[in-house]
Amino acid sequence: MKLALIGVGRGGSRVVDRLVDRESATGRTLCDGNALVFDTTETTLEALEFVPEERRSVFGDIHPNVGDDGLEGDPDLGAEVAREDVEEIRRAFDDLAFTDVDAALVVAGLGGGTGGGAGAIVLEELQTMLEKPVYAVGLLPTDDESDRRIHTAMRSLQSFVTIADNVVCFDNESWRSTVTYDEHAATESADDQDGDDTAVDDDRDEDDTSDPYDEIDDAAARHVHSLFGANELESTTLAENRIDASDIARTLETGGVSTIGQATLELERTDGPLPWLPRPSWLPDALARRLQGEIENNQTDAAAIKRLVRSAVESRLTLPCDVASTHRALVVLSGPPAAVSRKGFESARYWLEQETDTVEILAGDEPLTRSSTITATVLLSNVTTVPRIDDLQARAVAAEREREGDDAGTAATPADAGTNEEFIW
Amino acid sequence: MKLATIGVGNAGSKIIDRMLEFEQETGRNLCRHVLVINSARTDLAKPDYVPEDRRVLIGDTHQKAKGHGVGGDVEVGAEVAKHDIDEIRRAFDDIDIHEVDAILVGAGLGGGTGSGAGPVVIDELQKMYDEPVYGLGILPGEYEGGRPALNAARSLQSFVQKVDNFVAFDNDAWRSRGQTIEEGYEQMNRELAIRLVTLLAAGEIDETEVAENAMDSSDIMRTLDTGGVSSIGYASTTVRTEGGGLLDRFRDEGEALDESTDAAKIKGLVRRAVNSRLTIPCTVSSADRALIILSGPSELISRKGIESARQWLETEADTVDILAGDDPRPNSPELAAVVLLSNVTETPRVDEIQNQAVDAQDKIAELEAVREEEINDLITDDDDELDPVV
Repeated sequence: MKLALIGVGRGGSRVVDRLVDRESATGRTLCDGNALVFDTTETTLEALEFVPEERRSVFGDIHPNVGDDGLEGDPDLGAEVAREDVEEIRRAFDDLAFTDVDAALVVAGLGGGTGGGAGAIVLEELQTMLEKPVYAVGLLPTDDESDRRIHTAMRSLQSFVTIADNVVCFDNESWRSTVTYDEHAATESADDQDGDDTAVDDDRDEDDTSDPYDEIDDAAARHVHSLFGANELESTTLAENRIDASDIARTLETGGVSTIGQATLELERTDGPLPWLPRPSWLPDALARRLQGEIENNQTDAAAIKRLVRSAVESRLTLPCDVASTHRALVVLSGPPAAVSRKGFESARYWLEQETDTVEILAGDEPLTRSSTITATVLLSNVTTVPRIDDLQARAVAAEREREGDDAGTAATPADAGTNEEFIW
Repeated sequence: MKLATIGVGNAGSKIIDRMLEFEQETGRNLCRHVLVINSARTDLAKPDYVPEDRRVLIGDTHQKAKGHGVGGDVEVGAEVAKHDIDEIRRAFDDIDIHEVDAILVGAGLGGGTGSGAGPVVIDELQKMYDEPVYGLGILPGEYEGGRPALNAARSLQSFVQKVDNFVAFDNDAWRSRGQTIEEGYEQMNRELAIRLVTLLAAGEIDETEVAENAMDSSDIMRTLDTGGVSSIGYASTTVRTEGGGLLDRFRDEGEALDESTDAAKIKGLVRRAVNSRLTIPCTVSSADRALIILSGPSELISRKGIESARQWLETEADTVDILAGDDPRPNSPELAAVVLLSNVTETPRVDEIQNQAVDAQDKIAELEAVREEEINDLITDDDDELDPVV
């Protein structure tokens, strides 16, 4: 699926930056340069590495209530300045080629004033402008973030779900504990047929380890990229059942909140004398296999494929949820087609149908002839039972009640944008 | 029979492609016109034998398709075909209808394009031509899930109502354990193509060797005249090794002299064809009409054998409406029996698909009904204390 990719606020911009990098590192088309990031402060945008300068746009910075630190987490102010600067935002949109894309995707941290507040206005703008689907990726805050950010996230989630055609959520809290888990190498090589290391990993290893968000953002980018970039690799092999843009759009058509799961299976290889040999396309497959070794056990058994899809759903969702509350689902198996058992593919699909308790399931394969891994990517669209969201809501409600209590004590006006400043969150 | 063949959707296009491959390999001349129609641009690149200019992309201007397929949605499949009907009609214009006896439309019924656009294409063909339009439909397996079953159950109704006869192929009956994604449906498509081409190409021979009892297109069409759903059985045996010496030839002729063994062989082959995996498993006795064709070197096809095979099938299929004949293929290394069971009314697989479809339809309706409410419950807190940002 070809996307116009838009990051709003710090979290959103960072993930878009990673996506742009992943796209060029893996050759898997996603936005093809059609990316844009917005924030209310220069500093966030300056820290980005891969989104070109001319695609970074600051707005609202001349608003009287916006200081050097931006909105200071105020989503109502974020929405207000975005509305006032809507012309600025529209002008920035002019740089995007919307005619060639299948959809627009807005990435935003829901807990931030800019991401949550201005993000909603950006979504609104895109919906008025485009006749194509407008999707969002919403990053949910971790437990150690302030009450205010959690309150904001739960308010902006409402707006995002109402305005966007679908909101794929990424729960930073669930992923914070997994950042040491090293599955990057595995999925990287599934994405990259040549098995080259990508720049993302190298950078991360060298860079400061102080920022856990580096890895979390990577994980978010990886999931978003594998789903929306399914079958967007330049490949000479045609998929038997190709997952096309229409399949993704149909699955997301439900609206609501969605989640992505992914798992990778390493195929065993025999070692050839030159396993490191790069694979130029002119090298005949048979010769390449002789020199570099080949995948052993050429076909994985049906049970292994089913286990793979199962593990994608059970342990690696971007937003943990009750899987049985899913309204529609999509599954893509990426790997060497000669190694994927069709029976396994079918029984995995069937298992997913039982598990999600919906018949609206689309399944496809993505042939990566020379890959040494099989990756399963699963989209669960419109999951409606999500304990994590209930928990965040409970905390947001408690915070709101506390604030209202304080309001009463100081005899202030009812909660609105103006009163927010009086409370310490 | 001289055919115009049209493949709709991914599965339909692939089966047409395999038919072209098989007729080319065996020197038959069945498909005089060929056309594939699809809503996914990339899938149109797949056929090996269909000329580039005989591939039509539909729905490339439709908001939900845009050349990327219809997302398995049968409604969108029908919509894009209706929308692009002029384009489809223009592609039909190239068919010189005087050159063909019938039109065959192949489609997979589990997806969105074949099941949705297929019936629209057939409607148009029926309007434009007097020649019979036959359908060839691939039924999804149980493990393909509820949505494909629902698409198939609905589309089957449209197909059977609109076509003059519908040959069904059941993916489940043909599924085998060892297949990989790469092999995919290749082997199944190939088996189906062999059956279709052997059946429908009977009588189409360039160097006219006069067959004593030759089948021709009118016999096939008469058998298909019943309408309904039909099934094909097939069996073959190798008759002669390539480059066989004088001795082999002598032995062959020696055997041919022995009428009784030859007749028994023919009858045995026909029996095997009926008792083997049919394109769709069915109760043979529920067939309305049947047709037997023996295809291979004519010296091996015993008339007596054909007659006793016919009599056997008469009892088996419980109908006297059975035509039997030969299709001489002098250079063929194989002797094949193909049996068409026309209008079989007892096919357990169709019932199963219908049951699965009803369940699927209920489940879809249930989810549709609660969708908005469930989304709202999720994003708001219990007492609705939190306000949206905008």
